[in-house]
Amino acid sequence: MNWQIVRALIAKDFKLYFRNRFFAFITVLALVAYIVIYFVMPQTVDETLEMAVYAPVLPPILEQAGSQGLELVLMESEEQLKEAVVGGEYLAGVVVPPDFMDKLMSGDKGQLDVYFGTDTPEELQDSITVLLEEMAYLQTGQMLSVRVSPEVLGRDMVGIQIPMRDRLLPMLAVIILMMEMLGLASLISSEVVGRTVQALLITPMTIRGLFAAKLIMGTSLAFIQVLLFMAVTGGLNQQPLIIIVALLLGAIMVTGIGFLVASGSKEMTTVMAWGFPALIVLSVPAFGVLAPGTVSDWVRAVPSYYLVDAVYQAANFNAGWSDIWDNLLILLSFDIVFVWLGITVLGRKLR
Amino acid sequence: MSVRRVAILLGKDFKYGSKGFIFIMAIVAPILISLVLNLVFGTFFSQTAKLGINDQGNSRLVDLVSASDSVQTRTYASADDLRKAVEVGAVDMGVSLPDNFDEDALSGNSIVLPAYVWGESLAKNRGILLASINSAVRQLAGQEVPVQIETTTLGDAQSVPWSDRLLPFVLLYAVTIGGTMVPASLIVDEKQKRTLTALAITPTTLGDILAAKGLMGVILALVMSIVILLMNQAFGVQTGLLMIVLGLGAVLAALFGLVLGALVKDINTLFATIKGIGILLYAPVFVYMFPQIPQWIGNIFPTYYIIQPVVEISQRGGTWSDIVFEVSILAGLIVLMLVVVAFSTRRLKQQEV
Repeated sequence: MNWQIVRALIAKDFKLYFRNRFFAFITVLALVAYIVIYFVMPQTVDETLEMAVYAPVLPPILEQAGSQGLELVLMESEEQLKEAVVGGEYLAGVVVPPDFMDKLMSGDKGQLDVYFGTDTPEELQDSITVLLEEMAYLQTGQMLSVRVSPEVLGRDMVGIQIPMRDRLLPMLAVIILMMEMLGLASLISSEVVGRTVQALLITPMTIRGLFAAKLIMGTSLAFIQVLLFMAVTGGLNQQPLIIIVALLLGAIMVTGIGFLVASGSKEMTTVMAWGFPALIVLSVPAFGVLAPGTVSDWVRAVPSYYLVDAVYQAANFNAGWSDIWDNLLILLSFDIVFVWLGITVLGRKLR
Repeated sequence: MSVRRVAILLGKDFKYGSKGFIFIMAIVAPILISLVLNLVFGTFFSQTAKLGINDQGNSRLVDLVSASDSVQTRTYASADDLRKAVEVGAVDMGVSLPDNFDEDALSGNSIVLPAYVWGESLAKNRGILLASINSAVRQLAGQEVPVQIETTTLGDAQSVPWSDRLLPFVLLYAVTIGGTMVPASLIVDEKQKRTLTALAITPTTLGDILAAKGLMGVILALVMSIVILLMNQAFGVQTGLLMIVLGLGAVLAALFGLVLGALVKDINTLFATIKGIGILLYAPVFVYMFPQIPQWIGNIFPTYYIIQPVVEISQRGGTWSDIVFEVSILAGLIVLMLVVVAFSTRRLKQQEV
């Protein structure tokens, strides 16, 4: 294999790739769009229900509201409370009348006036009502004979919850990698249809050299972009080396898939027709991270699961080599399979 | 016009046209846009607290908790299934109710109810779930609520969440790209490849060809509208009426696509035309996005009559009497557009044959 020729081919491929306006435009636009989407999304998680309270005499139970997932902010007047709720500062406001405690103690029903903003979802309105009722029961000393004894499964993330945008990172990384797969497949298929590849093979360029060039070009194009995306969004702040290795393995895998897509395509539209279903399937594991519990165990059969899981665990839970070496090993196995399959199938088409 | 020939042409368009970029975009783009908007403004990934229950007896507690709006309840056949569901985050909390739970709770015996809590569950969800379980147990035990809670909603009662405001945009996008762009691009493609002229010397009439392309647009627009409404949980209860209205909207969009396809020469001109008139197509959605804009402005634009009945039924629980005016105008626009299609077909025939 002549590395000088391989290098020249890589340089030519980069030029050709960016000459295709559609893919060049999509590449830059998508990268910027993904970064914008990431930064537009909230960077914190609302763990508690924030409520305004006006209570001339504060019932003692309200001081323990934090344990119920409520965060109460005291207001100086009912008017101030209403303004804060209308202004959207709080989901709800509770007005506790001065005689509330006296009524409860005397066995009469107390009254609470609860104000909701128009944007407060109905299920939250119901939740707040249930929480207030439960606190009233406790205030009157009506204990239950049934006691719920909770056991936390997995790491307890209270106070250190992962924002949705950080859950989104692995999905965006997979999409960026797959978009590059589409670009590479389009480039190869146009060369096959234009018979420039066949022309190349009657020069000193060997078929091994050709695939080496395409593999390096495809992998680096995908890898550089996804790395840039992760760096800008802060995805490399924890365990950068593990994430870089995982992304590199992911880039090699999509390049192998790109070879396969190219072998069944004639031009851009057929690349899209084959590539989009592949993109959707490979995105499924990321949905499991975004909305936990929505995908079942079969998701482990999707190769991108091991990339998504490795990136998610390392970036958000600071998982080390000992935690995710198996993911990386499986990903490497998929790399070997896809690259071998891609080269074999596409190689047959070229011969 | 031959129904058999139209069906054959439609089959051919689905077989070969479905590999086209615009066809794929007509399917993928509305779904992606809807997903992104839901991610940002969120209803798809609802954060309502989720409770898993494994009922080993036949406890009434399950019905009592399920009746609450504050909690989403799922039942599991075994304690192992429940534990697994909590581990993967399918539910925030899981409780296993022992046999004779109701009797024990009513008798006042002390019961410890083991519960699994998902580590990533939010503090507020844990609080809501515990309170909801306690509330259901108290109802079971017949305890009287010691407090009267009066609720009032403050502010503009017409306030609409952004996810609802943006739904008309995604819906109109799905209808126009599937109903208008796909048939138009298919006709233009046939013109450019000169297959339209080739077809014209067979027994197939231009009417057959346009009917097939239009039908494809109607089907695509209808299917994508349904998908978008389902994704946004906005299908409403008037399913039959909604389908009729969606169907009429898809027909109008497809007729417009046929006119465009018949009039423009190549794909670049088609894109330029769509870009040029895009603001007219999408203008009504601004009325939904910004309620401060006088609502009558929306009535000026034809696409308003596609989108308004759908919004009325799916988001506001409207019935036939609420949309009869808009649907009448929509039907009128369809008749008008049929006349324009007839003229455009005649012109196309002169050009191609």
